[in-house]
Amino acid sequence: MAASLVRFVRSGFGRSLNVAKQSAAIVQTRTTTTETRPTVRPKDPVTHTQLSEFGEYIAEILPKYVQQVQVTCFNELEVMIHPEGIIPVLTFLKDHTNSQFNNMIDLTAVDVPTRQYRFEIVYNLLSLRYNSRIRVKTYTDELTPLDSSVPVHQAADWYEREIWDMFGVFFANHPDLRRILTDYGFEGHPFRKDFPLSGYVEVRYDDEVKRVVAEPVELTQEFRKFDLNSPWEAFPAYREPKDAPKLESGDKPAK
Amino acid sequence: MAGVIKKTTGLVGLAVSHNPHERLRILYTKILGSLQTMPQDAAYRKYTEQLITQRFNHVKSEHDVEKLEKKINCGQIEEVISQAEAELALSRKMTEWKPWEPLVEEAPANQWKWPI
Repeated sequence: MAASLVRFVRSGFGRSLNVAKQSAAIVQTRTTTTETRPTVRPKDPVTHTQLSEFGEYIAEILPKYVQQVQVTCFNELEVMIHPEGIIPVLTFLKDHTNSQFNNMIDLTAVDVPTRQYRFEIVYNLLSLRYNSRIRVKTYTDELTPLDSSVPVHQAADWYEREIWDMFGVFFANHPDLRRILTDYGFEGHPFRKDFPLSGYVEVRYDDEVKRVVAEPVELTQEFRKFDLNSPWEAFPAYREPKDAPKLESGDKPAK
Repeated sequence: MAGVIKKTTGLVGLAVSHNPHERLRILYTKILGSLQTMPQDAAYRKYTEQLITQRFNHVKSEHDVEKLEKKINCGQIEEVISQAEAELALSRKMTEWKPWEPLVEEAPANQWKWPI
């Protein structure tokens, strides 16, 4: 369907620069050598350009909410939006004739505790008409509520309940936001990175009171934390440029 | 061959439309009217006007339903009608949301950085 889109490149279109700089979209183009090893995924530049053009199209129509667009090395289009734009962007992607992403495949959250907005909410959509997929990402922290996408996609209902239960992200205007996977009186949000693997309570049947009781967890073996860092550099392609030592005014550079 | 209305769309819940040209004509005029309320340079207005006028011209020129479906090339005419209805609802919501305005707020510096 990219054939039906008119490629309209604005001057000063800052978002396309982000596509090039984006760490996840580094595509090592091997223009001269043809790849013969069968275990290496063959690059598909045609799909890549089609997806990036479509990403630019979306960013051009919705500049109010779209912060970044990238195409991963596996040819997956990702659109990063501001949390205020959840309903507009999802409605646009669902209703617009050129996109028609009327199928919500998945809705999840990712917890990155070091960030200011630690939770990254990910919507995966599928267009049956154009056989294409797209990923929409937003962010929020522990206390800020997000708009529920249930008015747009009914499928989001249980997914948002799961995110509420597991991460603690509140969805405003959700028809029925309650716990879905944890036990009835369970306290805590298990999928957060600061929630321990074994949890805080364990349950057992107590014969005296004739019911199941929850008690603080007792591990038979003390939890062993392994240091899994390897002495070799893990991601040579994503090295950060080291800042050069800065001179204060008045200092002379060392000869 | 013109004048033979198909028995069924083949899709559950989607009834065959008896006057698709009329219905599309109404919907496309409404969409174009709704797009007029947006600023001229809004990208959504530009692209949607282009797309809708293209389809509208197909509808005006082609009177046979089957040939029209092939010309538009987006599934059955009933599906095209539902796409137009969705686009109409969307254009009305777009006039409220005004997505052509500049970015609401930039993300914090390392928000989208991966690997962390």
